[in-house]
Amino acid sequence: MTIWQGFCKSAGSPRFWAITLIIVTLLVIGTGIADAAEETTDTGGTSLSPIAFFFLFLFISIIIGMVAVLGGVGGGVVFTPLMMGFTPIDSYIIRATGLFVALCGSLVAARPFLRRGLANVKLLFFAGVPYAIFAVVGALLAEHMKNSMGDSGEAIIRLVLGLLVVGIAGLILFGGKRAEYPEIKSTDSFTERLGLAMSYWEQSIGKVVSYKVKRAPIGIGLFCGTGLISGLFGLGAGWAMVPIFNMVMLAPLKVAAASSKVLIGVGDTAAVWPYIMKSGIFVLFAVPCMIGLVIGTMIRARMLIKIKAGFVRYLIIALMLFSGIKLIIDGIAKF
Amino acid sequence: MEVEKETGIPKDAPQPPLAGVVYGEIAYWILLIGMVIAAVGLIIYLVSDGYVAQDCLLDKLWDGQSAETIWEDCAGQTEIPEGHWYLEKLSKADGLAMGGIALGCLAAVVGMWGAAIAMFRDRQKLYVAFALIIAVVLTLSALGIIALEH
Repeated sequence: MTIWQGFCKSAGSPRFWAITLIIVTLLVIGTGIADAAEETTDTGGTSLSPIAFFFLFLFISIIIGMVAVLGGVGGGVVFTPLMMGFTPIDSYIIRATGLFVALCGSLVAARPFLRRGLANVKLLFFAGVPYAIFAVVGALLAEHMKNSMGDSGEAIIRLVLGLLVVGIAGLILFGGKRAEYPEIKSTDSFTERLGLAMSYWEQSIGKVVSYKVKRAPIGIGLFCGTGLISGLFGLGAGWAMVPIFNMVMLAPLKVAAASSKVLIGVGDTAAVWPYIMKSGIFVLFAVPCMIGLVIGTMIRARMLIKIKAGFVRYLIIALMLFSGIKLIIDGIAKF
Repeated sequence: MEVEKETGIPKDAPQPPLAGVVYGEIAYWILLIGMVIAAVGLIIYLVSDGYVAQDCLLDKLWDGQSAETIWEDCAGQTEIPEGHWYLEKLSKADGLAMGGIALGCLAAVVGMWGAAIAMFRDRQKLYVAFALIIAVVLTLSALGIIALEH
């Protein structure tokens, strides 16, 4: 009786309908991919026409773009595990495409963030050096694993990516409280000498925010690791960048999010070229995903007004856990 | 309080560093042009065909075949083409679309060189060095030098 009453009470709220709409949409995505996967011909291909394939992936990517940004993560971190977990497409091609779509989303967002001074350009250059170098190393390592390890390389990548995605979902869920404007009483001399402090006009409170950062040496190490993972697995790195900037280096949350978004574009550019040079990107797959993710990112701006991102966050966590567990199972099965 | 029309920021508020603005503008417009070219190329590819046979590509892609197999079976290549293959195939729809994708991926490379020059104008030596390191890494990567040395 209590459950029924609770249901009736929830059914009257916009929040209930928003969550229901997203769950239904996610189910439609899953069903669409699964149906397409089942529609295979005798030769192992698909009976879908190229135009139907284009619209299917355009639609899927629009939804991924909307849902991912509403949940506070970039498109790549949802796109790559979802495609690897639920489509039969080769993981190397998915990783290449995942990097490319994450890069597009990031570069589109960079302009307004930098014009408003919300993204700290010095912080970007400081973090960009280790991140870009290690993103290239990661992409080269991915190519090496693919060439030298064959099926076991594919199994390792699926298994490790699965564990990573489950870990990221855990990080989003239990990642600690992020401070909007962290207070810094003292900073280390190395960080001080880098001169990373900056000021910007904060529209929401109508005043200038001046901030400092700290723990730059730890930040360098973490950016190396993030770049490596980004290049190796074709993921965007928004899931790691924001916590590093905000929780380790204590930059304001908005600055951390904006700087992270811009930095992903730099690192992914470095990582995507080895994939392009090895002809791992196919336009029939990459272009609808690119257009879809950009459209989805633009649509979410209107949706954000009506839906609270917190609720969608839990759906993303569920989706990532689901994709991660499926990748782990696939990886184990391939050994 | 006087505000800027486009951003809504007061004119006496701290100005964003020039290097950031330069990077953002260059990257955004190059990406946008690349996206338009890629979209036009793909539309032509869908209504006609291209260098890589689209039905074959779709079948192999959905069969989980590797990039090498797709190139071999759908474009008649004995080896996977390395480097900027699309530059020689810009007259083909998929070559054009791939050219658009590559242009989009070049956006941050060009933007970073622009940012390095802007940083140099602001006399920020350390950050000029950082920007140059990133610009060089991105350029070497885009030229295929880093990838081909592997």
